[in-house]
Amino acid sequence: MRQFVVIGLGRFGSSIARALSEMNFDVLAIDKDEAQVKEMEGVVSQAVVLDATDEKSLRELGVQDFDTAIVSMGDTVEDSIMITLTLKELGVKQVIVKAKGDLHSKILKKVGADRITIPEREMADRLAQSLASPKIFDFIEVSETYGIVEMVVPKKFANKTLSELNLRDKYKVSVVGIKRKIPYSKPDGSTDFKEEFIVGPGGSDEIISGDVFILLGRNEDIDKIRKL
Amino acid sequence: MNDDYSDLVELGGFYILSQRYDEAIKVLRRAEKIQKTDPKLYYNLGIAFEALNETGDARDAFRLVLKLDPDNRSAQEHLDKLIEE
Repeated sequence: MRQFVVIGLGRFGSSIARALSEMNFDVLAIDKDEAQVKEMEGVVSQAVVLDATDEKSLRELGVQDFDTAIVSMGDTVEDSIMITLTLKELGVKQVIVKAKGDLHSKILKKVGADRITIPEREMADRLAQSLASPKIFDFIEVSETYGIVEMVVPKKFANKTLSELNLRDKYKVSVVGIKRKIPYSKPDGSTDFKEEFIVGPGGSDEIISGDVFILLGRNEDIDKIRKL
Repeated sequence: MNDDYSDLVELGGFYILSQRYDEAIKVLRRAEKIQKTDPKLYYNLGIAFEALNETGDARDAFRLVLKLDPDNRSAQEHLDKLIEE
């Protein structure tokens, strides 16, 4: 099982520690603030009060044996840089660090951070993207030119089979999955629905208005479908 | 309640169950012209809009349900989910 150490238990750090723990990962949560640590007791595998800028304490705790460290130090830029450097020197394979901005991010890269996240910016980008393209729910970048998107099926595709739509030839995209709402009748006479996920749909699968495609393809080809 | 109204609401429900959401919306809108005080009508309208991923209209419909029937838990759950999205 993968093991994670989360250093800094502010809003971001505690949320990530909690989420990883809910996914049944082994999580060690560290902060120098006793109150923050107390809140994580019973939530994660182990919660420890410790000053993570102290290399000796980190080593004694065995942080070097963890696969991934997530550093989320809030406003203390210097501390996050010091801790990142220490973790890499200790040999932690992957160090992910929350940065405050571009300069902080640049320094973190130089001291060996494997991945840098600026959560507020990422959230804002994602929200802006969803506002600009309301038909696209989610986007995962596979490479610079390829992506996987979750997209409401254009109305003109409804009541046609995937063979009839022939998206692979016409648009050079693959339908990886379809999310569909399955309606049912409730005892009081009203209706409701549950969601179904069709993995790797076949050519004979018929599209229903309101379906959501999970598409893999070049961004520009996906964009052509989005504009339909 | 007016017979036409009941027929239209029932037909709307039938269209939803047949996954013909656009048609469901059309007949439920016709029903709305006859009667605007039935939470069930707006609930089904919300379901049809949500099924089509037309979230703005779905939210409006579920808000109307809650105005007419503040204790409607299903409508509240759908609205909460749509706001989170």
